Amino acid sequence: MTADRAGGGEDARATPERGSCAHPEPTGPARQLVRAQGLAVAYPGNAPALTDVTFELTKGERIAVLGPNGGGKTTLFRALLGELRPAAGTIELRDRCASVPQTERSRLDFPVSALDVALMGTIPTRAWWRRPSRVDRAAARAALGRVGLTEQVHDTYGELSGGQRQRVLIARALVQDARVLLLDEPFTGLDATSAAGLEVLLRELAAEGRGILIATHDLEQARRWDRVLCLNRRQIAFGVPAQTLDHEVLAATYGGAIVTLPGEPATGVHHAILPPHHHHHEH
Amino acid sequence: MLEPFQLPFVQRALLELLLLAVLAGTLGCWIVLRGLAFPAHGAAAAAFPGLVLADGLGFAAALGGFGAALLFALAVGRGEGHDTRTALTLVAALAAGIVLASDIFHSAASVESLLFGSLLAIDPADVRLAAAAAVAALLASALLSTRWLATGFDPQAAQALGVRSRLPDTTLLALVAFAAVATLSAVGALLAAAILVVPAATTRLASDRIKRWQLTTTALAAAEGTIGIWLAVKLNAPPGATIAVVAGAAFALTALATAITPVLRRVT
Repeated sequence: MTADRAGGGEDARATPERGSCAHPEPTGPARQLVRAQGLAVAYPGNAPALTDVTFELTKGERIAVLGPNGGGKTTLFRALLGELRPAAGTIELRDRCASVPQTERSRLDFPVSALDVALMGTIPTRAWWRRPSRVDRAAARAALGRVGLTEQVHDTYGELSGGQRQRVLIARALVQDARVLLLDEPFTGLDATSAAGLEVLLRELAAEGRGILIATHDLEQARRWDRVLCLNRRQIAFGVPAQTLDHEVLAATYGGAIVTLPGEPATGVHHAILPPHHHHHEH
Repeated sequence: MLEPFQLPFVQRALLELLLLAVLAGTLGCWIVLRGLAFPAHGAAAAAFPGLVLADGLGFAAALGGFGAALLFALAVGRGEGHDTRTALTLVAALAAGIVLASDIFHSAASVESLLFGSLLAIDPADVRLAAAAAVAALLASALLSTRWLATGFDPQAAQALGVRSRLPDTTLLALVAFAAVATLSAVGALLAAAILVVPAATTRLASDRIKRWQLTTTALAAAEGTIGIWLAVKLNAPPGATIAVVAGAAFALTALATAITPVLRRVT
C-alpha cells in the first residue's frame, strides 16, 4: 500500500490564503482521503477476489458500497485496513482507516462495558506494555458522548440495544482518530428509529470532515448518500447515485437477480428490487 | 475448631493456597473467558512426564514440569481444533509418565503425589513458585487485559485494530503453562483445573466486569482452599482431592441456584 501523506490535508490547512478564501475548506486533491487506482486484491495464494477498483473518497462524503455477498465489499475494506496487500494497482491513504464491524460478530456475553469496548480503540496508538492512560479514557468517554451514549458509558455492552451497540463500535472507531470510517452493514437488524438515528449520526460525522464507506444492501438508503461504489468481484460502477444506479449497473452488480415492477419505465432507476436480499454465507 | 491451622505444615499449605487463589482469580478468569479450560488441564497433564523425568534424571522438578507444559501449550493448545490434539496429548502424557515412572526410573511411589498433589508436604520452594506465578499473572493481566479482551471479543476486529494477537496470546498460553506447574504441588497434574478453572467458572455468571470477576474469584478460591484444607485435616482425607470436591460442590450449587431462581420467581 502506498501511504502518500505528503500532499495531505495538514499542509493545505496551513496555507496562508485560508482567510481570504470564500470556502474555508480547501477543495480538490486536498480534500481527498482515499484514492484507489486499478486496484486488485487477492487472498494469499488465491486469484484476485476483487479487480479493477478505481474510486476516491473525499472529506464529508458518504459512499455506499453495494454488491452481493462475496462481491468484494469486505475484501475492499480489508485492503483499506492494510490486512490484505494490493495484487495490482495502488491505494493512497491520506488518513487512518477505522472499521466498524457488524455487531453480531462481537461476543455479547463478554464482561465488558461500553467504555471497555470504546477503549479498545486506543490499542493502535499504545505500546503493548502500556495500560490505557487517563487521556485514553477521556478520549473513549468523549467518543461515546459524541455518538449519544453519555448515559450508557458504564452499561454492559451485551445488554445494550442493537442500535446502541452499533454506536459503541462507531465510538471505538472514533477513538482511533481516523478520518476514514468503514462500516460493514451497520443498519442490519436495527429498528426504524435506531436506523434513522444512525443515519443522522453518519451525516454529522461526515459533515465534520470524515469520509465514510458504508457496505449496505439497502438501495433506497444508498440513493440518499453522496456516491455509490458497485462491486461484483470487480468494480461495476462508481458515481453519483442518480446517474449511476440504472438497471444495467444493478443487473451487473447483483448478477441479474433484479425484477422490474410491471408498468415501470425501462430505465428502472427507482424501481429495481432485489429478491434475494440476504444470503447467509460470508466469503 | 481452628486447631488444624496451628500446625506449621498446615499454615504453609494455607499460604500456598492463598497465593494460588490470586492465580485462580487473575488468570482463571482469562482461562474461562478465552475458552482455555481444556488446554489448561492439558498443560498440567503434560507437566506430569516432565516431573517424572526431572525426578529420575535429577534436575529441578519445576523446570521439567514447566518445560513440558510450555511445549504443550505452545505446540498443541492453540489454533483451530485444538481440543482433539489436546485430548490425544493428554492421554499420551499420562501414559508416558506412568511408563517412565514404573519401568524406567522405578519411582512409581511418587506417581500419586504427582497426579493428585501433596499439599501437606510442600516445601518453601513450592510456595515461592506459587508467589512468582501469581505476580506474573497480575502483571500480565494489568498490561495485556485490553488486548486479551479485544481478541476474544471479536478476533477479526481486533486484527483491524492492529492487535497483533500472537504475542499477547502466546503470553497467555505461557502463563497458563506456568500456572499449571505452580498448582502441581498443591493439587497435582490431574486436579489443576480445580484451582485454575472451577472457581472462575463458578463466579462467571455473577460477574459483568473483568476486575470484579477476578476479585470475586480470588475470594472464592481462597475460601474453597481454606475450607478444603480444614476438612482434609479434620477428616484425614487427601487435601488436593478435598479442595477439588469443595470447589466442584460450590460450582454445582451455584449452577443449581442460577437455574432455579427464574423458575422460583415465576412460581411466587
